[in-house]
Amino acid sequence: MEFPSLMLEIRNLHARLGDGREILKGIDLAVTAGEVHAIMGPNGSGKSTLAAVLAGREGYEVTAGEVTYLGRDLLALAADERAREGLFLDFQYPVEIPGVNNMYFLRAALNAQRRHRGEPELDAGQFLRAVRAKLKELEIGEDLLQRAVNVGFSGGEKKRNEIFQMAMLEPRLAILDETDSGLDIDALRVVATGVNRQRRSDRAIILITHYQRLLNYVEPDRVHVLLAGRIVESGDKSLALELERGGYAAFGSVG
Amino acid sequence: MSAVVDFPVKPETRPYLEAVAGSPGEPEWLMQHRRRALARFAELGFPSRHGEAWRYLDLRPLEQAPLRPLAATEVEAARAGGDPASAWPAAGLRLTLLDGRFAPELSRLGEMPATVWFGSMRDAIVRRPDLVGEALEALAADRDQPFAALNAGVFGDGFTLAVPEGVVVEPPIEILHLASGRSTASFHTRSLVTLGAASRVRLVEIYTGEGRYWRNDVVAVRLARGAAIDRVALVEEADAALHLAVFDATLGPDARLSSTALLLAGGTLRHDAVVRCQGEGARCGLYGAYLAAGRQQANFVTTLDHCAPRGETREVFKGVAADRAHGAFQGRITVRPNAQKVDAHMLSRNLLLGAHAAVDTKPELEIFADDVKCSHGATVGDLDATALFYLLSRGIRRADARRMLIDAFLREPVDRVEPASLRDHLLARLSARLAVLEET
Ligand SMILES: Nc1ncnc2c1ncn2[C@@H]1O[C@H](COP(=O)(O)OP(=O)(O)O)[C@@H](O)[C@H]1O
Ligand SMILES: [Mg+2]
Repeated sequence: MEFPSLMLEIRNLHARLGDGREILKGIDLAVTAGEVHAIMGPNGSGKSTLAAVLAGREGYEVTAGEVTYLGRDLLALAADERAREGLFLDFQYPVEIPGVNNMYFLRAALNAQRRHRGEPELDAGQFLRAVRAKLKELEIGEDLLQRAVNVGFSGGEKKRNEIFQMAMLEPRLAILDETDSGLDIDALRVVATGVNRQRRSDRAIILITHYQRLLNYVEPDRVHVLLAGRIVESGDKSLALELERGGYAAFGSVG
Repeated sequence: MSAVVDFPVKPETRPYLEAVAGSPGEPEWLMQHRRRALARFAELGFPSRHGEAWRYLDLRPLEQAPLRPLAATEVEAARAGGDPASAWPAAGLRLTLLDGRFAPELSRLGEMPATVWFGSMRDAIVRRPDLVGEALEALAADRDQPFAALNAGVFGDGFTLAVPEGVVVEPPIEILHLASGRSTASFHTRSLVTLGAASRVRLVEIYTGEGRYWRNDVVAVRLARGAAIDRVALVEEADAALHLAVFDATLGPDARLSSTALLLAGGTLRHDAVVRCQGEGARCGLYGAYLAAGRQQANFVTTLDHCAPRGETREVFKGVAADRAHGAFQGRITVRPNAQKVDAHMLSRNLLLGAHAAVDTKPELEIFADDVKCSHGATVGDLDATALFYLLSRGIRRADARRMLIDAFLREPVDRVEPASLRDHLLARLSARLAVLEET
């Protein structure tokens, strides 16, 4: 039998913005393969900042702490290396890139990752077949394919495109930043189904959200409350329900 | 041409005045025109960088080491060989100018409607002086622009395309300018396109070559009422080459011009578009992109003159300067007092990559009519950091991600080119050029 292995371990992570403002004030978090963790917190508590620091976005300075990902020092890797090592960030605000075709972009990404793993690259035909199969599985239309990356996409289409990319790239660790925000119930169901299909014993998922709504569809193993740059409470899925009833005020000052 | 001159001569022009211009037995009207033009060039001298028109190019290397016009007798016959990568593989009709001279063995003049005249300039001078005579003498640029004047004086060849009223030539016509690399010299080509009322053509000009040379090209286009031309210029000269080109167009009533120029390779590149919207309702689209790296210099200059009412202009120019390259856009739109209801927009967008690269952009409007819609915009910036992070976050390597974004930025002017096979060729050349650029 396989032992549950530690996928991500964050210890005492402090990070600040370019202007010196400290946003993350000592985060501790351990995520095991196969688990789904939910991180909940009010607007401005630092959820997206945590995701950005983990994904390697520029503009943040880590002033203390360590992050170990699959046994390696995550913070020593560049953003693109982290992605090739299997880390995936589902953006709260997916970026529009005029002039870059969505399919061309995704094939470049997938092949960069496959090359990194020593797997053969997919040619245009193989890639298209893989795409079609995945879209069908996720019940996403093919109309996203021929457009420029996220350009002219509705809010729901952007989120679906993120889930679709995740499904194609098959990450080890997926961080989903407010994938549920702004979605109608149908889109939410598509997204939740996509996430549930991604659950695997060798993959971990971190769901960042400030509503418990998504958690009705995707059942988390652990729930954490992030408040003003710190995790102030952790528990099982019942914690999310508690939050829904009592709000964040019970866990301390929101500002 | 006689080396004895009796007009004021700027010293840097001397090497060119001694050159053998034209060919023996040319008609007297042309010889006279050549003499007048050379006198003008001698008087003007090389342009000063202190003036506005030429301030963004460093031409000192040319002053220090003149590149004399290649005489007709020096042009060797072309060797058979494959097409250069820059050439458009799908071209049906092709006229090749090798080292500035018509190379019939590298050309396919093909099937044209009998009423269309298409061939080399030298041929037209002998056989159809009625087509080219007046037009060769009436080019405004020859009076103001030193190198256009020089071109008028010493041009060796070019092409002539005359399409009569109502005739539509469907397949794009490719003009392939090659430099063999066998001569360190200058190639002066002068061409003429006259389009009768409601006629239409597509023109593809490819400029490529090897070695050290100076290409000095002038194309004059005359559009009668309702005529239309779609023109593409792809410039991929040798690294050590100097390329100066003037595209001079006069548009009659309701005529339409669309020009897309790509400056991708070559040491020093300047593309000048001079357009007069002379007839009411003339429409003009000027698009372009340059990609300058290493120590390249790339310069777009557009001069648009709206002389009649209801004209329309769209200009979109994109530029990328990396390494130690220098890119520049100078655009001027003039709207004359009677040119009411003109609608003119000019946009210059640039990426400045690297601390040692430079970009200048200078759009200008001169408006003398009161009922017009005119605007211009200019930006110089870096790659979008958010977009770059998005690509990186998917595992795409930084160098590849940057290339994807540069490609996306530059392709906008190309995206409107028809037919699709030509557009794809231009985009492929753009990508190929990006692939060889060093990451900065
Ligand atoms: N790149 C940034 N530039 C400026 N402020 C930022 C940036 N990223 C985060 N912040 C600030 O940091 C704080 C936390 O933001 P964020 O991490 O987006 O919170 P959440 O995702 O929990 O809503 C907020 O005050 C936000 O304005
Ligand atoms: Mg957020």
